[in-house]
Amino acid sequence: MKRSQPILQGIHLARAFGEGEKKTLALREVSIRLERGQVGLLMGPSGSGKSTLLAVLSGLLKPDKGRVIGFGEDLWAMSEQEREKFRLRHCGFTFQGYNLFPALTARQQLELVLTLGNHATAGHARRRAEEMLAVLGLADKAHLRPGQLSGGEKQRVAVGRALIKSPTFCFADEPTSALDWENGQQVVKLLETAAHQDGAAILIVSHDARLIPYADRVFHLEDGRMATQKHKSEIRKSKYEIARKEPLLRISDLELRV
Amino acid sequence: MAIHSYTLTTLWYDRQRFLPGVLAVAFSAVLTNLQTGLLLGLFSTTSIPIDHSEADIWMSAPGVLSVDLGRPISQANLSRMASYAAMEAPETLLLDYSYWLKPDDSKELCIVIGSRLLGRPLGAVRELTPEMRGRLSEPGAIVVDEAELGRLGIKGVGDNAKIGDQRVRVVGLVQGLKSLTGPYVFCSLETARLLLPGSFDQATYLLARCRKPEIASNVVESLRGHSDMSAFTKEEFSRRTRIHWLTQTNAGISTAFTAALALLVGAVVTSQSLYAAVAASMREYAVLRALGIPRGRIIAMVLALSFWVGIVGIVLALPTTFGLSHVAEVMGTRMLLPHWLLGSVMVVTMAMAVLSGLAALRSLRLTEPASLLR
Repeated sequence: MKRSQPILQGIHLARAFGEGEKKTLALREVSIRLERGQVGLLMGPSGSGKSTLLAVLSGLLKPDKGRVIGFGEDLWAMSEQEREKFRLRHCGFTFQGYNLFPALTARQQLELVLTLGNHATAGHARRRAEEMLAVLGLADKAHLRPGQLSGGEKQRVAVGRALIKSPTFCFADEPTSALDWENGQQVVKLLETAAHQDGAAILIVSHDARLIPYADRVFHLEDGRMATQKHKSEIRKSKYEIARKEPLLRISDLELRV
Repeated sequence: MAIHSYTLTTLWYDRQRFLPGVLAVAFSAVLTNLQTGLLLGLFSTTSIPIDHSEADIWMSAPGVLSVDLGRPISQANLSRMASYAAMEAPETLLLDYSYWLKPDDSKELCIVIGSRLLGRPLGAVRELTPEMRGRLSEPGAIVVDEAELGRLGIKGVGDNAKIGDQRVRVVGLVQGLKSLTGPYVFCSLETARLLLPGSFDQATYLLARCRKPEIASNVVESLRGHSDMSAFTKEEFSRRTRIHWLTQTNAGISTAFTAALALLVGAVVTSQSLYAAVAASMREYAVLRALGIPRGRIIAMVLALSFWVGIVGIVLALPTTFGLSHVAEVMGTRMLLPHWLLGSVMVVTMAMAVLSGLAALRSLRLTEPASLLR
């Protein structure tokens, strides 16, 4: 299996919350590698540290120990302003709750990122937003506000907001949890396209085993530790045909070659 | 989209969410305008004898703090004033408290103002028309403000009354000269000498007009060389009177305190309303921070929001202020809304709105992007 050069690495990351008796170790010496053009799927039971790992890797939460290396630079040795610039240039995010501005149309949600972050002109921002909405399949809904969109459409707008500045990394926290499978598939396919066509490194945090076929690497966290990291070539189908359109894919149906 | 475009879009779309904040700003501005306007109007009545007369220069006994607290000075000083070429037509004014005897035998404190009435008198308020001044030449004739009739226990022109031991007759009524303390009673110098204690050769004030009004302050400076009198320009004495009432009397201090309280209430209501409205979007702002949008630009968005809430609030406040002040005037309450007051309140209100936005930003600092992942 040929390995491409990692562009984001977490090395021996540790993070705890609380103090004294209430102290809980969310991450225990976790190491992870994200590579360009790949979809990584971070899975594990609730409380396993998935969201904490995503926050640490993306520069939102400082680890107690360990390093995050992005393009050869230690993210957590940077100043707050430098880390902010790093996120502006390289990072896109989607969250469970969409978090779209209620007053802005779908197009304006995307334009805002470009005009505020990249100082894009209004004309350029509008063109890019319209292009992105076309890719998202929402060209005819550009003028609609979040209150007028379905859950799947809102999440696609949120994905568009994450991808509009062509980020190097995109971190998606439970992007399909609030969606039915049809809409969820659309969202994950967008992320897959961003990886395989645009070369972004995607990290999806999810409980949803149906996303496994879309992942190039599957990371499994348990109790703050990296239990397994598997490339898709190491994940073999069992007696069930794993078709991308087939619902109800269970992780127990898969054989993981160790 | 530009920050202001985003802000105005959000304000319009989410107008129900921001309405409490806008109304709080408007309420604050109206309350402060009216309370301060009331304060100014109330205490402007204390300087009516100065503001409504034609004299440029007022001379009094040394150290007089307020126009109603004058002490007797010699009329012989008129000749001293007449020797100043820059002044013309110096004359006497009598002004003092006395007691008005009401029909039910109760007494009401009143301020008797006796002045020259012929020609272009300096001490007579301009509301006294030539016809009224003609009628006031009759001994015992007086003019009062229409709004004081109830206080004085009389019904109108033609009624008789007593001031001290002297019988008086109302020969005319004026409007807009209601007093903060005792009602003003306007009369001739001769009538005033009957009503007030003091010798014939004494005056309460000596008044003069400057040949060139713009040099009044220079003339006053030269008059201040005399230690046995105080000299003021019209504006100085008016301000001195009002400040005395504002700062040295319970009425002034309590009314000023109420005006300050109005500002404080407005500030608290505005800050809480805006805080709630802005804080409702904290998760969206946290997403922008996660995406690396510079903190400064997000701060600018919140401040722009607060700014426009302030502007809309003030736009609502101005006609409301004028409308309510008109209602107050109709009800007989004097209210002054000078441009400097309206401008100052606008500035203070806008500052409150923007500071409220800054306070809301504190919650932005507390809403770290990482919290979106928990």
